[in-house]
Order: sequence, then structure tokens, then C-alpha cells
Amino acid sequence: MKTFEYEKGEINEKEIVYLAASYPIAVGVLSIPRTLGRVTNFFDGWVCLVVTGIFCIFVTGVSAKLASYFPGQTFFKYASTICSKPVALILTIYGTIYFIATTSFQTRFVAIITKQYLLFKTPVEIISLVFLFVIVYAVAGSRIGLIRLNLLFFPITILVALFVLAMNIPNFEFENLSPFFTTSWEGYWKGSKESFFTLSGSEILLFYVAYIKKTEKTSKYAMIGAGIPAIIYLMIYTTAIGVFNSQTAGMLVYPTIELAKEAEVPGSFFGRIESLFFTIWIMAIFNTASLALDIVLISLSSIFHKTKKITFIIFLTPIIYFIAMFPVNSIRVSLMGQFLSYMSFGLGVVVPVFLLIIAKVRGIKGNA
Amino acid sequence: MTSNSFFKREKSKNKIIQNSKEESDDFTPKLFLKLDENLQKIQEMLDNPGDLIIRKFTIGLINHSCAVVYLDGLIDKLLINDQIIKNIQIESTKSEESLSDDPVYIVDQLYDKYISSGEVEKTTSWDDILYAILSGDTALYVDGTNQVLTIGSKGWESRSIEEPVTEAVIRGPREGFIESLRTNTMLIRRSIRDQNLRFKSYKIGRRTKKDLVLIYIDKIVNPNIVEEVNKRIQSIDIDSALESGHIEQWIEDDFLSPFPQIDHTERPDKVVGALLEGKVAILLDGTPFALIAPMTFGNTLQSQEDYYERWLVGSLIRVLRYLAAFIAVFLPSIYIALESYHPGMIPSKLAFSIAATREGVPFPVFVEALLMETTMELLREAGIRLPKPIGQTIGIVGGLVIGEAAVSAGIVSPVMVIIVAITAISSFAIPSYSTALSFRIIRFAFMGAAAVFGLYGVILAYIVINIHLVNLKSIGVPYTSPFAPGFTKDWKDLILRFPIPMLTKRPKHLQPENLTRGDMNKGGNSS
Repeated sequence: MKTFEYEKGEINEKEIVYLAASYPIAVGVLSIPRTLGRVTNFFDGWVCLVVTGIFCIFVTGVSAKLASYFPGQTFFKYASTICSKPVALILTIYGTIYFIATTSFQTRFVAIITKQYLLFKTPVEIISLVFLFVIVYAVAGSRIGLIRLNLLFFPITILVALFVLAMNIPNFEFENLSPFFTTSWEGYWKGSKESFFTLSGSEILLFYVAYIKKTEKTSKYAMIGAGIPAIIYLMIYTTAIGVFNSQTAGMLVYPTIELAKEAEVPGSFFGRIESLFFTIWIMAIFNTASLALDIVLISLSSIFHKTKKITFIIFLTPIIYFIAMFPVNSIRVSLMGQFLSYMSFGLGVVVPVFLLIIAKVRGIKGNA
Repeated sequence: MTSNSFFKREKSKNKIIQNSKEESDDFTPKLFLKLDENLQKIQEMLDNPGDLIIRKFTIGLINHSCAVVYLDGLIDKLLINDQIIKNIQIESTKSEESLSDDPVYIVDQLYDKYISSGEVEKTTSWDDILYAILSGDTALYVDGTNQVLTIGSKGWESRSIEEPVTEAVIRGPREGFIESLRTNTMLIRRSIRDQNLRFKSYKIGRRTKKDLVLIYIDKIVNPNIVEEVNKRIQSIDIDSALESGHIEQWIEDDFLSPFPQIDHTERPDKVVGALLEGKVAILLDGTPFALIAPMTFGNTLQSQEDYYERWLVGSLIRVLRYLAAFIAVFLPSIYIALESYHPGMIPSKLAFSIAATREGVPFPVFVEALLMETTMELLREAGIRLPKPIGQTIGIVGGLVIGEAAVSAGIVSPVMVIIVAITAISSFAIPSYSTALSFRIIRFAFMGAAAVFGLYGVILAYIVINIHLVNLKSIGVPYTSPFAPGFTKDWKDLILRFPIPMLTKRPKHLQPENLTRGDMNKGGNSS
């Protein structure tokens, strides 16, 4: 059948904004006040968030720029053009492993928090398995459909987050914020590092660009998208410090969820908003995890052209589940998260910057 | 979309067409020249039924013999007597120009002069004659020729135009479609006096050969939609289409989905509204239900009446419907989840009172909910089947007696009765019946998910439904548009209904050829 103009499976500008914005917002935001509260004094973490936020916007711009030189090409293909096929293959495999691990990590993390806040008796194995099945069902559908899910879910999750923040306004104490600038340089450095790892999402653009409708403004929209999580993080961090103060926030495991606990809903229709908040937040985590798995499929099919999507899915699901179940306890899971962070720095910053530099130096312009 | 199955259908259709051609090639009897032989043949073909009327008469001064053949009950008797038989007999004798001797020429004379009827056709094929007679036309045989005139004389008892029962409105036209296709097309023609209004006719059903009309407004609708619907209608090959439901289920994109992908209505004004938005409508003879395609999720919670009330009322009622849809789908499952997994989320006072009322109820919440929901479904179904006066009794017996007795017997808690009742009321507030049905199905899925995984199950089930929806299409239009893909301009007429002067554009997600409906600032109305 003939399809509509917007039904060719291409991602348009607005959808890039949502894509770039909803990928970074996942489990990291639940613990960001803790990680920052540990390494910085009082309210100084905002410096880290602003700095890394700007850095992330910049890196996203670089990735989008690089990718928009080669419209309609997969990462593997344009990386091969820039720096020989074997290097591109290594980079693609590196990316694939990273995104597989990300999917596993998110899956495991959902299970851990769900067990803590929602289902006290159900084993983690079952919780994550169900979540994984839902992700698999999502990626088995059309790719553009998956991106539209972001459009549907992202506003809901943001609204819920804003709602929780608004409900915390009465608890906000300005004394918790001052004095300013008491943190050491090392603290700022550590804080920035931590916040980068939860804020960075530029790596997905490298892979999704093959499906983005060719446009001049790709990088502009991607940068707008990357700015949204930075603002959300900053708001959540500010509220968390204002409500708890930085020492307490540094001790709470998931200060953002605890914020929801503090929220007083007028009319007292629901007690314990935190369970409700996390329930809705599962949608945000789902978005991130499903996008990650989808990128795995993109990169795998860019290497193996002939294999069907469903074959990859059948093959990948047990692997992802196995990796998700591999860490024995939540400490190990955090360790896995750290490891992933370093990988994401490689993929999100080093790779695009170097590829862009090489492309500029060698004068490769793609077919843009 | 399920293009695969479509191709299969088309392939098999081609094969069948070939087969039927071969069959019909085998016995296509020629018309005889002699009148009596022809009449005998037609009696044989129809096995001489009681309602087959053959009236022989002679015309002209030369007393040439003729015969009209029709099926009693399908025709307008007055028309046959006055316009055909009487006319021919009188005119042919009175006329100054006498009737020719050549029978073939007589047919021409009849056609040109004597039959004062709009729809007359000459034919020499038994198939055409039979189809004409069976659909209420009259066949006029003239002795000595193999040409037969078929004269339009359809006229049978039909219901008068009434207010639609399933889609009652407070404000708006009281006309509804009826079972007669001509009346229905008339209702639409009367509303749209546009030369670009197109009626495309099809015959559906190998045996029933029902008339089906595809209606659209050329230069508004996207031609891709018309082409696709046309293709799908042509692929229909069944022996009968009793109701437009047959058509709907044949041409819908995904028959595994619980959601209706083609809207149906009894209201001409709704069809006209849809046509002007750039959609197509399908009318089938013998049913008052018209189909409207494409359909999107937004349409499921809209009623035509939203446009007739002032915009504030229309908008608020739509918001109310979204609330109703939410309650109809989620309320029982959320109650199950909270009660069995997260009792801490219920405010403590309420939790105590719920616990107090649940004391002595022997079942877990899920079983309790399932019991009451099933009872509710039974009541609803029984209420529909029973004649109207008894239907009310069912309501009283079901609602009051069973509810009251079940609570006092300690089988269910009063809170559960409240939940089920609110859910039922909410699902009645959804304007589209078929959507309400699909929400009923989904509700049970949510209840199951809540019983196993609590709120986690509910949210995952919600995600799964959304995954299904974003992959669903209706005639190629994404079901979730204009939410996602986002068409912010179309949101003026989605959850809210903006003032009519502001709705100057047709929905963009349907990609109409002509986008502009009007101009707000024209005619000194500017502010």
C-alpha cells in the first residue's frame, strides 16, 4: 500500500528532541542527589550539573553533526568511510556490547527498585524477566512505533516528576542551600563525573541518525533535547537538597523517590506517593531500555544484513537476561553501572569527537 | 499492517473469479426469441416461486404479446400498474405512429417512447435479467426478440427515518440511517451539495450481491486512503455481507487487535462531519450502520454532539470522557493492586474502613472483583437481549437485589460493589460502543496483571497496550496520531474542542488534499 509522507519510518525533528531527552532520563535521576550530595557540600552540586549539562549538550551537538554528515547511513557504514572497516567493526561491536549491557543494567535496576518499593515478595528474577519481555515486545514492533512511545510516555513522566516537585514546595527550606562554593575542586570534579554518567545520551544519536529525516537542524534539535534532562536533573537536585539537606540526601539510597514520599497530596487520596511515582517512572526506564535494545538491533543488522530482526531478538533475550542476573547483589549492580559509565564516556564523547576530527582532517564529507 | 494476508486474499480472489467465470461459461443460456419459451425458462430458473408474477398482455393495434415479470413484494405495484403496463397499453394503441411489425423495433419504440420511467435498460443476458428481477426491478419481455427491457421498480416496505437508538444526542439532528441504501445516500447528498462528493458502488457477496457505496469528497480526502479502501473492498470475497460488520472485519488492518480500527455510526451528521475531515464512509444496503475510516484513538472518545454544544461544554465533556475511559479500564485493577500488594498506599483511615468491610469476605480481592465484574457483564448482556420492559427488571434485580444480597451474604464487600458500579457507569459514558467493548476486554487483562504483579503489573500492561497502539494502523494512518506522531495543530480538536471559528483546518494527520476549512478573519469578523 501507499504510505503517508510521515509514515515512511523516518524520525522527524520533534521526535529527535524527545529521543535525545528521554534516553538519559532513567534510573540515574533516582539517585543523583545522593551521588552529588556525597561528594559536594550543601548546594554546590548545581555547578557540576550545569557544567556537565552544557558539556552534554555540546557532545550531543557533535554527535548529531557528525551523523548528519552522513544522512541515511548506519554507524557502521559511515565509521567505515571515516576510518577503515576493521576499526568501524570494532567500534560497532563496542557499541553493541555497551547497549546490551545498558539494557541488562536497566532491567536489573527496575527489578531492584520494584522489589524495594512495590513488590516485596516477588523474586527479582521474575520481575526483571517480565520487564524484559515487555521491552522485547516493544522492539519487535516497528522502529518508528518505538520512538512514538517516547512521545507518549515522556510527557507523562515529566509531568509526574514536576508534580512531585511541586508538592514538595512546602517542605523546601532555603537554609539547606547555603553557604555556597565550599566544595573542593576534587569534589566538583567527582560530582561532574558522576553527573555526566547519568546525563549523557549522545551515543544513541550516532546510531539513530540513519533513520532521521534529512534536515539542517538535526543537531539543533538534538541539543534542545539534551538540555531537557539537564534542567530536570537540576530541578530535582535543588528540591532534594532543599528538602533533605545534602548530608541526608547523600545517605538516602534513592533520594528522588524519597522526595515523593515527602510529598503531601492535598485531599489525601493516596498515601505513599513514592510507589505511585516509581510506577510511573517505570515508563521512563522502559523508554531508555527499549531504545538501548533497539540500537543493539540496529547495529547488529548493520553488520549482518541478511539476518531477520526476530532472529536477533530470540538470540539476544537470554543473553541480556543472563547479564542482568549476573551481579549477585546491588553493590555489584552499582559496580556494573560504573563500568557502563566509563564505556559510555568512550562511546558518547571519545568516539564522536575523534570521528569528527578525522573526518574533518581527511576531508570526508559523506554525501550530505 | 497485515499486507501479507491481504495479498493472499487477493490472490485467492483472482483464482475464484477465474473459477466462477469458468462455471458461468459452461451454462450461459441464450434468450429465446419466443415469449413463452423465455417465460418458461425463467420459471424454471427460479423454480417457479409463489411470489414470481408474470403478467402477459398485448400492446398496440396489432396485439403484439408482451409480458412483465417481477417478484411480488420487492416492487412498487402502483408504479408497475400505472407507469408500465397502463402506459404501454394506452400509449401504444392511441399513438398516431403505429407500432412496428419488427419486434426488435418494438423494443426500441418502447424504450424511447412509451415507458415513462427513469431507469430502463436493454439487455440480452439472463444474468442481468435475473439480477434485476431479484433486486426488485421488472423485466419486460417482447415476443419475437431476445432483447429484454429491465425497468427500475424497486419499492418495498422499509422503516421510516427515526432517531438512532444507539447514539442518542441531546442536541443535534434526530435523523438516523435506515436499512435502505438509497435513503441513506439521500441523507448524505442532502447535507453536502458539493459536486466533488463521490459515490462509488460495489456489489458485495457472491450470493447476496448487496449494494455497497464508498463515499468520499474528492479534492478533500487523501487519494491514498480512497485507493487503499477501494483495493480492500474489491478484495472482499464472501458469499454474503449481512451487516457492515462483515465489511469492517474484512478490510480492517489488524484483526488480532482488541481495538476497533474502523468507526461505525447510525448518524448521517457524523458521516458528513467525517467526510469533511477527509475520511471515507462506507454504506451497505440492509444496515443502518455506516462505516467511517480511517479511525484514530482520539475518535473513540469523541461524539458528534461535542461540536453542537458550545466549546467549553464540548471540551469539558471530552475531558470527562477521558476520565471515564481511565476509570473504565483501570479502576478495578488499581483497587486489586492496592488492596493485595500495596495496602500502605491507601490512606490509613480509608484502609481501615475497607478492611472492616472486607472482614468475612472469603475470597481474595481478585476473585471478588472477577466475580462482580462477571456478574456485571452478565447483567449487561442479559439486559440487551431481553425485551425493553423486562430489561428494566433485570436492572433492578441485578443492580439492587444481587448487589445488596451479595454484600449482606458476605460474598463481596460493599467497596467492591461501588468499584464495579463506578466502572460500569464509566464504560457507559464512552460514546463509541465498540470502543467500550474493547475497554471491557482490556479491563480484565489489567485485572489479571494487577493480581499477579500489583501496580508493577498494571504499568507494564499499560506499556504493552501502548506498544500495541503505536504499531496499529487504520487504513495506513497511525492509530495514535495525532498524539504520536505529534500533530500539535490537530490537538485543537482532540481532548479539548476549541471554538468553532478556530477550527479552520482539517486534521493534518489525515493529510487531506485541501487543508483549509474556512477563515476566521473573513467578513469583518476579525477581532
